[in-house]
Amino acid sequence: MNNEIWEIGGKRLTSRMLIGSALYPSPASMEEAIKESQAQIVTVALRRQSAGDGGGNNFWNIIKELNINVLPNTAGCHTAKEAITTAQMAREVFGTNWIKLEVIGDQYNLQPDPFETLKATQVLIKEGFEVFPYTTDDLVVAKRLVDAGCKILMPWGSPIGSGQGLMNPSNLKAIREKFPDINLIVDAGIGRPSDAVKAMELGYDGILLNSAIALAQDPVKMAEAFKYATKAGRLAYEAGTMQKREFASPSTPTIGTPFWHQFDK
Amino acid sequence: MIKVSVNGEIKEIEERLNIKQLIEALKYKQKGFAVAVNTTFVSIKDYEQTIIKDGDTIDILAPVQGG
Repeated sequence: MNNEIWEIGGKRLTSRMLIGSALYPSPASMEEAIKESQAQIVTVALRRQSAGDGGGNNFWNIIKELNINVLPNTAGCHTAKEAITTAQMAREVFGTNWIKLEVIGDQYNLQPDPFETLKATQVLIKEGFEVFPYTTDDLVVAKRLVDAGCKILMPWGSPIGSGQGLMNPSNLKAIREKFPDINLIVDAGIGRPSDAVKAMELGYDGILLNSAIALAQDPVKMAEAFKYATKAGRLAYEAGTMQKREFASPSTPTIGTPFWHQFDK
Repeated sequence: MIKVSVNGEIKEIEERLNIKQLIEALKYKQKGFAVAVNTTFVSIKDYEQTIIKDGDTIDILAPVQGG
């Protein structure tokens, strides 16, 4: 597949899919699915591990060998302070100033907390981080994050892990129209390839997904499906879709229609 | 001896250990990790100057899968 080059966080990429590394049936299927997706950004996290447990080494070795960009997250954080500390730790462990800023405000739907997210963003940008903020599709929150210096926004499609697709395409569209120069990624809620196509058709620069691939019956095949869906949606956006019309309009020429069709009019 | 919390577990350790000595004492096997004391990040370059005090909460985090 020929892909044009785009830029995010100072990197030039060809794939517009950002893939998660969690929930796969096995490390081998994770590795295969990520390779099949051709994603060039993979999300990872930091967690406590007991002293004698070197188990995390195996995971980290697989990720390093993939030789793609790592995007650490602050998943599980509920305050700006927790997220800032996690980001600082991630920068040291992963050797990147990229951070997927996730500050959760509600445990039931894992909705991001806009106030704490903004507070953390302001500090992290001053500290030289490239912040990838996970946010809702609220235009004003998006504006505040851009004012704080974000060059990337990652509004949700629907709640994390729900697979409900794009709950509010018109809000996502409004964010796209308001911020033509910001990298926009739909993060969370994508359940099937058609959701990815829709996000890309809206003109989003990319999609970030995990569960939809990892929880598929065949994650590797689903990674392939998403690879094509992301590409198809992008091509459709670039090609420019036709305008919807109220009435039918024949696609076959009407000139030269045989006489027996004349009474159909 | 002093009592500290390491990754949520209460441990008794010698007094006046720094972070580097604590990591050695714990025989921590993970290769890449980062440390926070009382929810504040401590950079690797500050391990030797950071003395652990009674009641401190130490988090040692390592890479895992994430979405």
